[in-house]
Amino acid sequence: MTGAPDIRSAGRRQTMALSIFLLIQTLAAVFFVGDVIGDLREDPGSVHFIFEAFVTGTLVLGILFGAFALRRTIELLRAQDQALAVARGALSDVIDRQFQSWALTPAERDVGFLALKGLDVAEIAELRGAAQGTVRAQLTRIYSKAGVSGRAQFAAFFVEDLLGEGVPTQVAEAS
Amino acid sequence: MASPRTRSIAPPVAPPDLWDPVVRLTHWGVAVAVLLNALVTKGGSLTHVSLGWLVMALLLLRLVWGVLGPAEARFSAFPPNPVAAARHLRQLLSGQPGYYSSHNPAGALMVYVFWAALAVVTATGLILTGGATPMRVAAEKAAVASGDWSALIVKSDGESSDDEDKGLRHTAEEVHEVAANLLLFLAALHVAGVVLESRAMRRNLVKPMILGDAHRRK
Repeated sequence: MTGAPDIRSAGRRQTMALSIFLLIQTLAAVFFVGDVIGDLREDPGSVHFIFEAFVTGTLVLGILFGAFALRRTIELLRAQDQALAVARGALSDVIDRQFQSWALTPAERDVGFLALKGLDVAEIAELRGAAQGTVRAQLTRIYSKAGVSGRAQFAAFFVEDLLGEGVPTQVAEAS
Repeated sequence: MASPRTRSIAPPVAPPDLWDPVVRLTHWGVAVAVLLNALVTKGGSLTHVSLGWLVMALLLLRLVWGVLGPAEARFSAFPPNPVAAARHLRQLLSGQPGYYSSHNPAGALMVYVFWAALAVVTATGLILTGGATPMRVAAEKAAVASGDWSALIVKSDGESSDDEDKGLRHTAEEVHEVAANLLLFLAALHVAGVVLESRAMRRNLVKPMILGDAHRRK
């Protein structure tokens, strides 16, 4: 489950790179403005001055837009972070409650969670320090308590809620 | 300014886990440049002038960010409010500082004074160099070094009378030094404040200014 932190640190690296770029741009703009003011004192009417002033103005505008875009990116990253945390918490709440209503024993709950995370029987057995036969028996009991035919249906039980009415609409769109 | 929204009630999450990259860059950039210029580089040297221009760029970027940046970096998140600052200091002394999502009111006040001092230092620095960019300073120095003294003559042959010019330069120099010393004093005060506040809040306030919890794995 290293996916989320990776996205996060990638986003951080990206915003940091953008900020450094923004700083270099600002530095360049400050130098140019200083130069333009120097030219202004010497010869305000020259083509050189007008052109340079135009370029500098464009650079400053670019910085402002860049800063604004960076702000949006930072806020977007934060919103995603928060949404992800909420979704994660909500899903594990839902699973917890469902396991309770099926009256799973604590051991069965653990095995159920691991199965939902995609671990196979051998891995679960190794993690729990139990025999594979035990895990297989526990899984069978979980499936029968939940009234599902097997692992696929067991996982689908929770995914289905998240999908909402995804299937019918997509079929309708396709036709 | 009644009950600013910077005051969060529950849960106490303050200040941010990680300041945004622009705030961090400008903070450490200014810190390093000011320390170098105050303690290491020689006044009027090319390095000194270049660092001064860098500080000017950092300050401008931070001020732009104070309008365009994310919520906790904007001026509206930490308005200058001496009354709130005094209240915060009293709370700090009693060991129960309030929580704020941006700078605390005392820190905010210091931030504004610091920016003002930075602006004064750069402005007087510009007066002292005649607004010459580092490129121009380098060119003049190279010209003088090669025996062409005309660069110096053009400068002192300016529009205003020499006496007036000298008076202005003298004042600028004085102000430049006083403001620079003020910066060092404020920096020391700032470090002391961070230490005190971190102790009182039992929270490392330095980490959010460096990498936050970027390397924390759950």
